[in-house]
Amino acid sequence: MESASLPVPAAPRRRWRSLLRPFAFMSAPTALLGAFFLAPMVVMLVIALQYGVLSGQSGFTLSNFGDVLSDPLYREVALTTVLIATVAMVIQLLVAVPLAYVLAFKVGRWEVPLLLFFVLADELNPMVRIYAWRMLLGREGLINTALIDLGITNAPVDALLFSKFSVILVLSTSYLTYTVIPIYAAMKAIDGNLFEAARDLGAGWATTARRVLLPLIAPGIFVALLLVYIPLFTDFASPALVGGTEGYMLGNAVQDLVLESGDLNGGAAMSMLMLGASAIFAIVAYRLTKIRQLEQ
Amino acid sequence: MATRAAPAARVEPGLGLRLRRRLPGVASWALVALVLVILFGPVLMLALFSFNDSSIISLPWEGFTTRWYDEAWSNGQARDAVVNSLIVASLVTVASLVLGIMAAWGLTRLRFAGRGFAAGLHGSVLVVPWLIIGVAGLIFFSQLGVALSLQTIGLMHLVVTFPLVVAIISAGLVRFSRSLEEAAIDLGASQMQMLRYVVLPQIAPSLAAAGIFAFAWSFNNFEISFFLGGFDQTFPVWVFSILRQSENLPVVNAVSTVIAVAQVIAVFGAWRLIKRLGRRSGRGDETLSDLMTGAVR
Repeated sequence: MESASLPVPAAPRRRWRSLLRPFAFMSAPTALLGAFFLAPMVVMLVIALQYGVLSGQSGFTLSNFGDVLSDPLYREVALTTVLIATVAMVIQLLVAVPLAYVLAFKVGRWEVPLLLFFVLADELNPMVRIYAWRMLLGREGLINTALIDLGITNAPVDALLFSKFSVILVLSTSYLTYTVIPIYAAMKAIDGNLFEAARDLGAGWATTARRVLLPLIAPGIFVALLLVYIPLFTDFASPALVGGTEGYMLGNAVQDLVLESGDLNGGAAMSMLMLGASAIFAIVAYRLTKIRQLEQ
Repeated sequence: MATRAAPAARVEPGLGLRLRRRLPGVASWALVALVLVILFGPVLMLALFSFNDSSIISLPWEGFTTRWYDEAWSNGQARDAVVNSLIVASLVTVASLVLGIMAAWGLTRLRFAGRGFAAGLHGSVLVVPWLIIGVAGLIFFSQLGVALSLQTIGLMHLVVTFPLVVAIISAGLVRFSRSLEEAAIDLGASQMQMLRYVVLPQIAPSLAAAGIFAFAWSFNNFEISFFLGGFDQTFPVWVFSILRQSENLPVVNAVSTVIAVAQVIAVFGAWRLIKRLGRRSGRGDETLSDLMTGAVR
């Protein structure tokens, strides 16, 4: 294949090389992914299609998927998960778009140091960040004690922790870096003269934002969706530590199936369903990104 | 709200002109300040309360103490967990860099059958949620009868981390022109000399960035470590298990503060290194934003 594209007829040594070199570079990484990424996925799929050990039946079945899909409890958990992930995503986009604009065009020589702070925000251990929020939001946490000391409320506000609110807050702050950076990257590619041109042609800020800025950063927004929405949708550390029963998400359901009830088959089926949902979402977001990029 | 800041300093004569001119700037900085407070405020409070002389974490302030640090130091579980994380992350970083450089070079500079498939395979690892990889890994190793330990954690960390290195270094390799490499070969350089004197200086900033990200991905990883650790704990798993069992503990504050300070130092150190490497290859200060924007495209 390679020798055909070479301009000069390939000497035997050269042809040998053009086969050997890709093999030397690619075999180890690809083999690793084959053995410990693809193979576990296949095994998980097989387990998801088998009867559980306890059921006493053997052979293949779709009942694990049926059980997960027909259980009204899981349907409710799925709704909660989509709700929490979507609200957290929308909040992040509402913050990230203006923030990326400010970083790209407004802060001058502070641009790189501020960027570094957002990298740092992501690099800090997520468990430490979740713990810090839990410390602030709890019944006897700092926010509640401060509210009471200041006389704003008499009793602690319970809704601060172990609620949908706390999960959304913690998730929004956890992934903000990954939402800001792609949008910032799209902003950096914009020619600043476009804004001036829009202004000279009489466009107000709202028109400029809607007709000039948003179409140009749309690919960045889709990349942010691709990077952030799937991890949001499958997160289980934040809901486990700050969600209580109200913020119970699909990730927690998988964890409970696999580790608490020991139902590997059910856990595998649910994981496969979440993987399928993630894949569909990823393909749609990826397509949208490509379409937007082609349109420009 | 802050998009209001969009039309910078619109020239409009009349009253309030100066206010109008300054408003976008003020709004911009207010937004930045607010976001920074929300992102870093909680962690700063956590650090502050690691010095509070009280076993419950709440106001009022009971006085300054370092006893939680003494307690953390003598806490065997905490120390084991941190040491485990450091060992796994160091090994994963080295192995990820080796595999990542190989795959990035192969995918960007060589032509071979199945290149599209290999690129897609490496890319797809980055999109599959860690929860799913953790569960799949757990099932896989239990079917094989392999006991879960730090080794299974490290192996699966490597699987998810080196494709990130591939992405960062590929972005670095794509950014600079291949004609330089061809010129070096035409001028009589050997393959090794070309790699050493032409390619390496160009991708050195990407390498440094990939290294620090790989370390952080492994060190911070919770989902995979949680499912694949068996009885071995890494630092995030230790924090999680403590918080699941009990209320907040000042010892956790102390350990977390030490980790956070180390991570701040690591990130700033890496930034200075990347800047220096970038300057040496003649690109200077833009490198960080190039790296960020390059890696996500």
